[in-house]
Amino acid sequence: MRLTPVNTAVLLLGPIAFFVLFFAAPFALLIGESFARPDGGITLSNYVAVLTDGYYWKALLNTLLISFWVTVVCFVLGYPLAYFIVFHVPSAGVRRGIYVLLVTPLFTSNIVRAFGWIVILGRRGMVNSSLIAIGLIEAPLDLLYSKTAIVIGLAYILLPVMTLSVCSVLQTVDRSLIEAARDLGARPSRAFLAVTFPLSLPGVVAGSIIVFALSVSAYVIPSILSGGREMVTPILIFQQYTATFRPDIGAALSVVLLVVTLLLIGAYLFFLERRLRVAV
Amino acid sequence: MTPDVVVVDRLIKRYGAVTALAGVSLDIRKGEFIALLGPSGCGKTTLLRAIAGFVEPTSGDIRINGRSMTGVPPNQRPVNTVFQQYALFPHMTAIENVAFGPRRQGLAGGEIAARVKAALAMVGLEALAGRYPRELSGGQQQRVALARAIVNQPDVLLLDEPLGALDLKLRKRMQLELKRLHQQLGMTFLFVTHDQEEALAMADRIAVMREGSIVQLGGGEDIYRNPATRYVADFIGEANLLACRVGARGTIDVAPEGPALPYQFNGNDAGEVSLMVRPQDVLVGGTVGADEVALAATLKDKVFVGSTWRLFLALAGGQEIAAEPGYSIEAGRLAIGEATTVHWRRDAARILAD
Repeated sequence: MRLTPVNTAVLLLGPIAFFVLFFAAPFALLIGESFARPDGGITLSNYVAVLTDGYYWKALLNTLLISFWVTVVCFVLGYPLAYFIVFHVPSAGVRRGIYVLLVTPLFTSNIVRAFGWIVILGRRGMVNSSLIAIGLIEAPLDLLYSKTAIVIGLAYILLPVMTLSVCSVLQTVDRSLIEAARDLGARPSRAFLAVTFPLSLPGVVAGSIIVFALSVSAYVIPSILSGGREMVTPILIFQQYTATFRPDIGAALSVVLLVVTLLLIGAYLFFLERRLRVAV
Repeated sequence: MTPDVVVVDRLIKRYGAVTALAGVSLDIRKGEFIALLGPSGCGKTTLLRAIAGFVEPTSGDIRINGRSMTGVPPNQRPVNTVFQQYALFPHMTAIENVAFGPRRQGLAGGEIAARVKAALAMVGLEALAGRYPRELSGGQQQRVALARAIVNQPDVLLLDEPLGALDLKLRKRMQLELKRLHQQLGMTFLFVTHDQEEALAMADRIAVMREGSIVQLGGGEDIYRNPATRYVADFIGEANLLACRVGARGTIDVAPEGPALPYQFNGNDAGEVSLMVRPQDVLVGGTVGADEVALAATLKDKVFVGSTWRLFLALAGGQEIAAEPGYSIEAGRLAIGEATTVHWRRDAARILAD
């Protein structure tokens, strides 16, 4: 089939309709809602309410902080894992097996996995009882129901995303470039820092943006592992819709969260742009 | 006597059941331009990579300037490689690529800058120093790769089919340029190629490799004139290889029915024996000289190749022989199917075993 303007339009119709129906339209509704007065009409009062209340700011800061640490943990654990898979697993079959293993946990419910962490991190959980048993601590640590618990829970769920993202780019790094670096007098560590790592940055960037975005919007894990002691914006938004029945405030909160996240990601990309532009 | 800068000593490399190098020994003299020549899979690249330190030999040793390289990592060997696909760092400009080696040596900043500048000037790329590899043409990338290697002043420069990715015209030009660089630098070059013309054009000595072994080592002309085996004769230049029968006392005649030829086979190899004669040495028609060997033949086909005719003839027994007898009007006039004589000076041909 020739690609004439007409059948191009026909082909694009499906995706465009899908995009409008399930993304653009709901988003427009959300924005409309955020400017809505209870009696109809337009107002900024929802935003004023959200942006002047320290409680909302604290939740937002909490959300961003948790997401930042989740991204860091995923990078610190995921990068070496990806490196190992790509460079130290010689058989393609074994590598494929590892990818499947990485993805398998994603088929389980997040709720189940969050409760798993309650068992592990609780006062009488595995971590505390082991630490007491080997005499490192005397009284159990307060691991559960804290920011740390949420970071652990989210990082655990999002680690495969970072790992696979880094893997996909590391695989494309030309081995002869690493050899060239070694040939020119670089120790293995220097060859990694000067060649392998910079060339794998696109994978790190893609992975960290996805992990960060999913952390910012995560609801289930924080709500289970916070035990009500930590507040994050998605929980707050949920409460606006289900408990306090203020969808207008909920919508304004959503928009603020979205804008702040986009700004942060934009700044991150801007900061890395030069290196990225070169590496891609 | 120039000292040997590289000594390869009975090097063996096996990958499981596959033998890539079957006990290779090779001495490379200082300042020499040596080519490793052979088809793909003959072990030439494995040998080069073993010298660079990327392949750990199963047994045997490599010594560079008398020092054993066993267990010495690539970054500590006094050699540099020009890689097949150049392997330029895509995230660094040309000048950063070239400065990579000198920076690793911990030289002073001024010294690094001076060396990098000199190396880029050597390959004529000063004007493009600030460009990224993807902003350079294939030939320019090739030059950056060269500059990046020679800037470190290695004892041996290893070149892994560096001209393979270039088009024919550029390849010819780079051949001359490589030769000029070699003369200017006085550096030892070890060059891997599967292109016999390239090896003949550039190298002082050629090591012809086959199935993990060096089958002949010598100057280009010497190998061309006196190939040690049929394989070498076939690989270097064009050759007619006429299957021969060996008689009781080493007498030779053309298979399957003669006639007898005035040559002697002295080997004790009962395998296939061939008479090798270059098409350029084969004359067609005209008078047969006293010191010449002549055979009856009929013309099967002829092609005008520009400066001369290329003739394909059939001998009495059915074997074919190609002739390129320089420019001659008679050769051009010869009609297909016509009977004639092929002849060559007796010492222009060789009797070779497999």
